[in-house]
Amino acid sequence: MIVSTLPPLVVVGLATVVAVGTLSTRAHAWRRGRVNAPVRISDLLNVPRRYLVDVHAIVDRRPIAARMHTFAAGGFLLTGILGLLAAAGLLNGHVAAVVIALSGMSGIAGATFAFARRSPRKPSYLSGGLYYSLPWLLGLANIFFMGVGISSAADLMVAWNTPSGIILLLTGMVSLTGLALITGKGPMRHALAGTLHLAWHPRPGRFNGQSADTAFAQIDLDAPKLGANRVEDFAWNELLGFDSCVQCGRCEAACPAFAAGLPLNPKKFVNDIAGSNAPVQYAGSPHPGLPEHREQAGPILIGEEGASIAPETIWACTTCRACVDACPMMIEHLDGMIALRRFETLEHGATPGKAGDLFDALRETDTQSGNPLPARLDFAADLALPLMKEQHPVEVLLWIGEGGYELRNQRSLRAFIKLLRIAQIDFAVLAEERDCGDAARRLGDEIEFLRLAQANIATLSRYSFRSIVTLDPHVAHSLTRDYPSLGGNYQVFHHTTFLDGLVREGRLSVEGQLNGRVTYHDPCYLGRYLNEIDAPRALIDKLGVERVEMARHGRQSFCCGGGGGGPVTDIKGKQRIPDLRMEQARETEAEIVVVACPNCTTMLEGVTQPRPLVRELSEILLEAVERRSS
Amino acid sequence: MNAHSALLKPLKIKNLVIRNRIMSTSHADRFADGGRPGERLQLYHEEKAKGGIGLTMFGGSSSVAPDSPAALWNGISLESDDIIPHLQQFADRIHKHGSTLMVQMTHMGRRTRWDSANWLVPVAPTPKREHYSRSVSREIEDWDIRRIIKGFGQAARRCKEGGLDGIEVMASAQHLIDQFWSPMINQRTDQYGGSLENRMRFGFEVLEEVRKQVGDDYIVGMRLSGDEMIEGGLTAEDCLDIARRYVGSGMLDFVNVLPGQLNDMINYAKYLPNMITPSAPFLYMASAIKAEIDIPVFHATRITDLATATRAIEEGHVDMVAMTRAHIADPHIVNKMMEGRVDDIRPCVGASFCLSGRGAVCLHNAATGREGSIPHTIPKSLIKRRVVVAGGGPAGLEAARVSAQRGHEVILFEAGEQLGGQINIAAKATWREGLANIARWLEGQVKRSGVNVRMGHKATAADIEALEPDVVVIATGGRPNFDGVEGREHAISTWDILTGSVELAENVLIWDDSGYEPAISCAEFAAKRGAVVELSTYDKYPGEEVSKANLPIFLRETYKHDVVFTPDRTLKRIYLEGNKRIAVLANVFTGEEEERAVDQIVIEQGTLPDVGLYDDLRPRSRNLGEVDIDALIAGRPQDITNNPEARFQLFRVGDAVAGRNIHAAVYDSVRLCKDF
Repeated sequence: MIVSTLPPLVVVGLATVVAVGTLSTRAHAWRRGRVNAPVRISDLLNVPRRYLVDVHAIVDRRPIAARMHTFAAGGFLLTGILGLLAAAGLLNGHVAAVVIALSGMSGIAGATFAFARRSPRKPSYLSGGLYYSLPWLLGLANIFFMGVGISSAADLMVAWNTPSGIILLLTGMVSLTGLALITGKGPMRHALAGTLHLAWHPRPGRFNGQSADTAFAQIDLDAPKLGANRVEDFAWNELLGFDSCVQCGRCEAACPAFAAGLPLNPKKFVNDIAGSNAPVQYAGSPHPGLPEHREQAGPILIGEEGASIAPETIWACTTCRACVDACPMMIEHLDGMIALRRFETLEHGATPGKAGDLFDALRETDTQSGNPLPARLDFAADLALPLMKEQHPVEVLLWIGEGGYELRNQRSLRAFIKLLRIAQIDFAVLAEERDCGDAARRLGDEIEFLRLAQANIATLSRYSFRSIVTLDPHVAHSLTRDYPSLGGNYQVFHHTTFLDGLVREGRLSVEGQLNGRVTYHDPCYLGRYLNEIDAPRALIDKLGVERVEMARHGRQSFCCGGGGGGPVTDIKGKQRIPDLRMEQARETEAEIVVVACPNCTTMLEGVTQPRPLVRELSEILLEAVERRSS
Repeated sequence: MNAHSALLKPLKIKNLVIRNRIMSTSHADRFADGGRPGERLQLYHEEKAKGGIGLTMFGGSSSVAPDSPAALWNGISLESDDIIPHLQQFADRIHKHGSTLMVQMTHMGRRTRWDSANWLVPVAPTPKREHYSRSVSREIEDWDIRRIIKGFGQAARRCKEGGLDGIEVMASAQHLIDQFWSPMINQRTDQYGGSLENRMRFGFEVLEEVRKQVGDDYIVGMRLSGDEMIEGGLTAEDCLDIARRYVGSGMLDFVNVLPGQLNDMINYAKYLPNMITPSAPFLYMASAIKAEIDIPVFHATRITDLATATRAIEEGHVDMVAMTRAHIADPHIVNKMMEGRVDDIRPCVGASFCLSGRGAVCLHNAATGREGSIPHTIPKSLIKRRVVVAGGGPAGLEAARVSAQRGHEVILFEAGEQLGGQINIAAKATWREGLANIARWLEGQVKRSGVNVRMGHKATAADIEALEPDVVVIATGGRPNFDGVEGREHAISTWDILTGSVELAENVLIWDDSGYEPAISCAEFAAKRGAVVELSTYDKYPGEEVSKANLPIFLRETYKHDVVFTPDRTLKRIYLEGNKRIAVLANVFTGEEEERAVDQIVIEQGTLPDVGLYDDLRPRSRNLGEVDIDALIAGRPQDITNNPEARFQLFRVGDAVAGRNIHAAVYDSVRLCKDF
């Protein structure tokens, strides 16, 4: 018996040794990272729930890929376990043999799925290279385990020295050792790294079901180095995260910068960091317009000779978070992006384009546009806005934002202010409102962000108000997610949420006053970041218009190109992101694109005509209210 | 930042906040109702407030005393307390839109007539003849001075009680206050004449009385000249000195600087420059004064575009830019700018139709001054119709624009290769090029609103019927009228000369029996190209119907090029003799005939309508061409059915009805089409 079961166990053992060898190289590389929190083995208990709930929710957005993974991974693991159990004599009988056969067939089916995905032509978002071998290796491994398992369980003992026995052993040896080898720099890396990443994920808040953990970590401003430009500047579990990439390309497909041909492919970006840490085979799409991947890169990520990432890659990002939201491995692309940006901005002062002007303006005037603070209210000189310093407590503090300085968004603001007046809301504005710091933070200038945020928190502490309302999702996000760790805790409403409340309470009547076909563009910082998908749609649906959706909407919305300082860094691509988004809007044949963010308004209205009209939600709402009252 | 952000900076004067830097100055809009701001005048100004303007001033030369009658141009009288409730109503109306309202007050001194409302003899510092108003005046006496100063004070009090945001004391264009200043007029030897201090005394006394009545917080400004630009008048230095002294008294909150004076026709044309003048010709005058004083400076004079207005503010030349005539062309300038629709602003082209004695109406915007019946923004129709317009001149373009704004499907046929009709011909005449902007704007609006424009297609009745229209608008224009002249085949039209379709000859006789711009335009055009030109007219002078801001320029330019004028002639016949054309002209009054031997004879009698298409379609239309004139005037839809089997209604607009002008053409169209 022992003699007869030994050869397959030897094959498995050999593969295991190889796997341990390759993984120890990876593990060694993860240890380069900082350790921020105690590493508890008990955290491994997080894995099943995080895998089955959070990961599943994302994987399942592509049902075919999800089934493929269930069969390929599940079939392989099950067949392997059952096969080994049978070989060890712990499973016997015809029923067991049939179960093993079915399991093996499932695994083979999964492998076939995986093969078929790349056949006859590989979709551009998927990787090639070693990924082509994966279906074969999995298929052969399943055949090996099936052979071993069925023959052991059904007692159809194979003589290992017969030709068929030797073939089976060779099959096992080749497939399992092959899989073990590609656990290092190849596809199977994701399995172990991904599992460990789920256990010790750097943002545990991601798994509470609300995806609310979007604030960037603060940095120690007294540290010898600000931001990251080498792999060791990341935390160990962040490096683990980058290593868990399965190169499925969902981030690539979601990324607006990649779609527009800007030099950023988030999938490649993650593998750039992983590959700088330890060799990684990358056979996916490059950063558009930049050279191919270098397999063996040094530990330097950016800003120096031999760096693995080009500066334009990190500045092409709009921080729209589509990649993070799409990633089934829960990788934090943006944390990587911001760490590198912080280094480039704070250590090198190398923020490109007009970002330098923006920083100057913020430093000198506390506004992005370089205007005096009181001029923020110039646009409403004839509306006699009550000031907080003259009139508080109030129900609502209206946060004007940078839009107050900008002609287009002044119109949205005026419309919203008129709506507040019609609804008889007790509100006031700040004469001393400073920029919220969102742009500075996302451009890596953490020092400027902290200065502005602390100044605003000090201002707000002087006044009494129930809630803050703003038309700018970036402001809403910054005040709710960035400010609490600095001691600023407020009830903040984006105006769409607030207006929805007013309409529900009957303080505004908008019903059925308009017609035509409209589509709604979800701002990234409202939909994906703040999870407000429904309120704007509920409002639009009351107006009497026909609402049609773009293919990319809600949490899957496609960025306008205006976030993360994109308009100032102004990295060139083949196309402009807003042009792509407007094309998606045109496809709906809507007459109006409704927007709910000053950046989206500016970006989308900047697209050349003919195109649908761009209207801020307040504007069409006001039109409906005024029609109703006339 | 925005291209025009400088214009959107609010201006604070004492406690008054003006929301932006764009204003309209007081002018003679001729819309008052018995000396009061009635409905028409209020709606006219309210439209600007609605359109986003920061400050609108009304009541050009509003009177403070009965010997300065505003009735001459249907203006405002501030002479009694009866006006206060009207001012209150008006002010509320403007404030409702977040705008501000001020009025101008004046005594015109000698610059008025003795035979107007009250038949009172005009007063002057020194009684001298004045060309512009042909005044006969008497020397102002001490009791007049007391009376008029009191009149200013009481008028100011009424304005304050009426809720106006401020007042402008008029001291430019040679009204009484600046008649005292001007050594050309004031030759007194008492305390009101001689030194500048003495000449300024009356103005000081007026301001002191005004301040006494309204207090220190109320906004009081003064309109003054930056340079009288006339021999013997006030120089730029004098004007600067005057401004400095009045401002130094602390009694003024702003000055409004304008150029020149209105001593005669040509000075009138310089004071209100037309399209021959480049943009912002006198900004430098205001800028010079702004550099010396520390209160806000306002300025008007041919600032018609936002780029220039922005420059004026951004570079610090002035604090408020008046775009008065630009607002007559389009009262929604500020809103359109704020909405990023600068291209939608109907441009002031400087045609000066608003100065042609018809009040503040615009050559190509028929809604201005008619806000009660014609909306500036055309509301959408509830039903969608198919409207076919034949002809792409101003009438056809306006019909297409308005119909498209109504939400209808519009198809426009133009036989030629260019839209704009006769505007394109008129714009060929030397400095008249600015007229082309009228056609350009209309074309832009028509194309942007989705009108299906079919160029180079002379529509036939069959073409139009094949489209199954609900409404057909015939705007086919007219052709030059040669009627009544024997031997007309030897004559050509002003069109031929201006378009160059006939080569200009050496010796040209132009005979005019229309009185409008074409003949004198053509004379100037031909003379500037070297022809020897005689302009003969049936009228007592050439260009009798031309706006008084344009005629002096036409006369200046034609005189400069030696055009000979022979008025009071009729062209009886033309015959050939050798290689010359002989024109037989007869004196209208004596019948005496005389002959001219010339190379070319141009006849201008306006146009005759081109009615072929109209006649073809008439029997097949539902209304058989009939217009319900009562409904047209009342602003009700046309609903006449004379031929129930027919599908479409048929109308004519513009010169296809009768040869008139651009204003008539666009008014025809908007009045009719807004109710489609």
